[in-house]
Amino acid sequence: MKISRKTFIKSAAATVGALSASRILFRGMEIWTPQSTEAAPVLTEEWIPTTCWIGKQDCGMLARRINGRVVKFEGHPDHPRNLGTLCPKGMAQIMAVYDPNRVKAPLVRTNEKGVPGQWRQVSWDEALTLAGEKIGEVRARDKKLLVWQHGRDKAPALYREAFVSASGATMLCVGAQCSFAAQKAVSYTVGSTGALGADFRHTRYLLAWGWNITGGGGNWLCSITWPRQMLDARDRGMKVVAIDPRLRGSGAFADEWLPIRPGTDLALALALCHVLIEQGTIDRDYLKKYTNAPFLVKEDGHFLRVKDKEQVWDQGTGSAKPCDAEGTVPALEGEFTVGGTRVKPAFQLFKEHIARYTPETVADICGLSADAIRKLGRELGENAMIGSTVIMDGIELPYRPVAIMAYRTGQQELGFQAVRAMVMVMMLLGAVEAVGGQRLGPPGPWGVDENFWLLDEVKIKDPPSDIRLEGSKYFPIGSGNSSMVARVMLDPQKYGVNYIPEVLIIHMNNGALTFPDQNAVWESYKKFKFIVTIDPWLSKTADYFADVVLPAATIEKYEGPLSVSDQYTDATALRVPPMNPLFQSRGEIEIYLDLCEKAGFLFGQGGYLDAINKALALWESHSLDLNRKPTAREILDRWARSRGIEEGIAYFEKKGVKIHGTIPAKRFYGSAQTPPFEGLRHRLYGESLLRYREEMQSRGVEEIYWRDYTAFPVWRPLSMEASPPEYDLYLVTYKMMEFKESRSSHIPLLAELAPEQRLQINPKTARLRNIRDGDPVWIESHNAVTGETRRVEVKVAFTEGIRPDVVAMPHHYGEVARHPWASGQGPTPNALFFSGEGYVANTQDQSYHVKVRVYKSGMSHG
Amino acid sequence: MARYGMVINLDRCTGCRACMLACKVENNTPQGICWMYVFRLEEGEYPNVRIWFMPRPCMHCDNAPCVKVCPVGARYMREDGLVATDFERCIGCRYCEVACPYGVNQFNWKKPADNYYLDWHDKELLPVTGGAVPPYKNPDLIEASAREKRHISGGGQRIGVIEKCTFCVHKVEKRMKPACVANCPTQALCFGDLADPDSEVSRLLAQKPSYRLLEELGAEPKVYYLGKIPSTERARQIEEIPCLLKR
Repeated sequence: MKISRKTFIKSAAATVGALSASRILFRGMEIWTPQSTEAAPVLTEEWIPTTCWIGKQDCGMLARRINGRVVKFEGHPDHPRNLGTLCPKGMAQIMAVYDPNRVKAPLVRTNEKGVPGQWRQVSWDEALTLAGEKIGEVRARDKKLLVWQHGRDKAPALYREAFVSASGATMLCVGAQCSFAAQKAVSYTVGSTGALGADFRHTRYLLAWGWNITGGGGNWLCSITWPRQMLDARDRGMKVVAIDPRLRGSGAFADEWLPIRPGTDLALALALCHVLIEQGTIDRDYLKKYTNAPFLVKEDGHFLRVKDKEQVWDQGTGSAKPCDAEGTVPALEGEFTVGGTRVKPAFQLFKEHIARYTPETVADICGLSADAIRKLGRELGENAMIGSTVIMDGIELPYRPVAIMAYRTGQQELGFQAVRAMVMVMMLLGAVEAVGGQRLGPPGPWGVDENFWLLDEVKIKDPPSDIRLEGSKYFPIGSGNSSMVARVMLDPQKYGVNYIPEVLIIHMNNGALTFPDQNAVWESYKKFKFIVTIDPWLSKTADYFADVVLPAATIEKYEGPLSVSDQYTDATALRVPPMNPLFQSRGEIEIYLDLCEKAGFLFGQGGYLDAINKALALWESHSLDLNRKPTAREILDRWARSRGIEEGIAYFEKKGVKIHGTIPAKRFYGSAQTPPFEGLRHRLYGESLLRYREEMQSRGVEEIYWRDYTAFPVWRPLSMEASPPEYDLYLVTYKMMEFKESRSSHIPLLAELAPEQRLQINPKTARLRNIRDGDPVWIESHNAVTGETRRVEVKVAFTEGIRPDVVAMPHHYGEVARHPWASGQGPTPNALFFSGEGYVANTQDQSYHVKVRVYKSGMSHG
Repeated sequence: MARYGMVINLDRCTGCRACMLACKVENNTPQGICWMYVFRLEEGEYPNVRIWFMPRPCMHCDNAPCVKVCPVGARYMREDGLVATDFERCIGCRYCEVACPYGVNQFNWKKPADNYYLDWHDKELLPVTGGAVPPYKNPDLIEASAREKRHISGGGQRIGVIEKCTFCVHKVEKRMKPACVANCPTQALCFGDLADPDSEVSRLLAQKPSYRLLEELGAEPKVYYLGKIPSTERARQIEEIPCLLKR
């Protein structure tokens, strides 16, 4: 009789004593059933290269597939961003792919909106026909009535370019909740598209200014690549100073911590400018040649122009000369008279402006010590090595090994001007686009962003041209904020908008959780007549507000093209399906092809196929036939061939990533261009900002809109400080490495690591409120402009690494989807934030600061 | 004969916990069981606060307390230094769990087939996974180890047995690195032959000061730490993982 382990133990239990003894004595004599008596099956193993879908970095992956079943995703060894590794999100993707709680088939809603949906499963044809009809009908009446909202756009050329252009839809993105305030400040000031980054291979002194190094917080490559490059730089001796109300993000790698009060970054940046000027560590040569610092400004604040040209004071001839005249020695300081007009160089005005931002004054504002601010200014000045050069690829370039990593500092009321002030610190040091210095563009070759001119020449539209209020008298520099759009939809007259859109397509976005103010956003979603979501999950947004849900695949699809540079090596990749789409899900490219067909704008001139030809810059020999519907694979095959890859998409199906090589210094550094920065004059002085202010005033717009349109950044008390004193704490937020946005906290492998929302709080602050570690509390926010309050219940987690007047809550939670693991996870902090006046920047971009009070739950008030 | 060990550079660890998941997916550990654990640690009082991270695999001790106490010889040390668990021999007495000062042993309280996060028997999933539970079930784990022909790889083997980090023995036998080491995004983990003076681990130990956890207990762990400074009693965990605290 074969004795299995189970029967052996059962019988052993029956006669415990004797049998146990005999088992120990007769160790070699147990009879075991081998686990399998069959011969091991023959296994065919394949490794399919693809690209991670879950996060932001588009890391390279290899899917290990055994006998047709994918058993693991590992990092692609050649991919410059992740070099054969994956962050926890990428590693957890294997569970997201197989999750039986994905939306399996298209769904049509059968109940009212604003509550969890009741759904009818339908065929793809029925769902596409229904959605296509609604889209087609509204386009025929007025394209403005169609809105396309994207969250994670994983094939920009095909979605936000081609689909938006062909459909004519009003596009909403998530930039206003992300980096746009910072990006606008950077493109307005120096003409790059990005926030603030570092040339890590050469940087020696880094300010981690709100940079959540270990939490995946940061612009562009925040999960893996920047941390790795930062660590390599520290191996070479780079010093890091953390400027952050909270230590957890950068603390493990910071040599010093400046625990700054939230919202005061602008003041600190101006104080640093003050110290740099006071100690004389400024790059006068850079300022004279490559910025508008020497431009002469009249008493009314506008540039002196002669024949439409800005002027400088030439010290050689003692007269005003055009700014682009050869051989001038422009003055940076002084007061001059030109043809009876009194003028000063912009830099003179800057010195006068900066005079009041002493470290002592700013120390009070920021909650730091004046000594720490002075020390920071001194170390920046010393480490910048102004005047030094280095040879890179045979070119002599300025060497300024100091940089700021920042982007979340844009997400505050003074965000646009705060980031401008931070860029100005780097301008004074001459570190912009210098070797080891301040990087400002996306990872990849240097280029000029057309916003450098567009944001300088805004023609204010009054009334606004659409619900985004772009270029309107309320937000001349403002590119759409879904949170504001919600407010406009609820009160269009207030903003001079004369329509309310009717059809909304939501592409991979969970706006019901992602966009503050939740009350306004939820009400606005109810106003849409028809909402279709494209998402692998029944997200909270889809569940409460969609009419039709189209199930998208996760990683199992063709998607791209993707630029995957790590800033030093240029590369391109595609997402290739390692298995067929699960259930009835489909890749988005194919969803859009069918949707456009049903809606009547797939074929012919101006259709989606035509738009794809343009967006992908397909060679004529490889263009799509405008009258035949292709597959996603075919589209990307034609794209690959149009990039000179002879094998077409087969190259990526075999290799996964195309390395184009190291970006040479000539294409890497803005200072290496001929002429440097392609002749751009970086804007120390924002004359057009003053011009917008004057026009806004003349159009009768309230002060709350124009007050931060100033030529130089100006510190002022923040709107939120007007909240009553019982709201004595600042709420800030942060990202977690485990999760991505509002679409991952339900994935069990990730959720197991951090199953529940927590409010981080300083133990002293908690004890003063009789709160112990782990206690549930109410956190209540206050809107200083409207008086509204919001509150949610959450458990606290003690940490000493946070200012006593600050509490912090991560994003990612909020019961993001209908999924067994999502329920009970706790709230999103977006339930506490406000939007609109006082809680957006002057560029309309979202602020993530609010005053709150915290008290034990179970009590009626603190 | 090789003597395998690990060197962990705390100056490079960002506490991302990718190693925990790489291990989990590779070794198919059930819900609530993590072989690799990454501590997120804090010390001091505002504003003088220190933060750092510490991955903690099994130490594969040369003088392992767990091997000494195992009444049935299920826990044993191999010639290459790996401390292994024969899950067909284990009787689930949990003596090793008591004896180990590092807390690396994890007990299967539940039937593993029912303990993998979600219901994988969804009928629409079966054609794709062939019924594999979990769907990422790793076929490498059912093979007996090459040398001693014991089943010592992988987690979630059966209810009532102990499991722990194996240093990915199924990969080591193929001259590959453990999953955690191969996956670390910042290359903070290093694995190799401590008996080979030219191996990466040996060179790191020769170049930099290192320490081991609870050295004074004499278990002779083969996991070494570089960088930062050893934590004191004042260090406290932040962001602990609840399911692992309850064990």
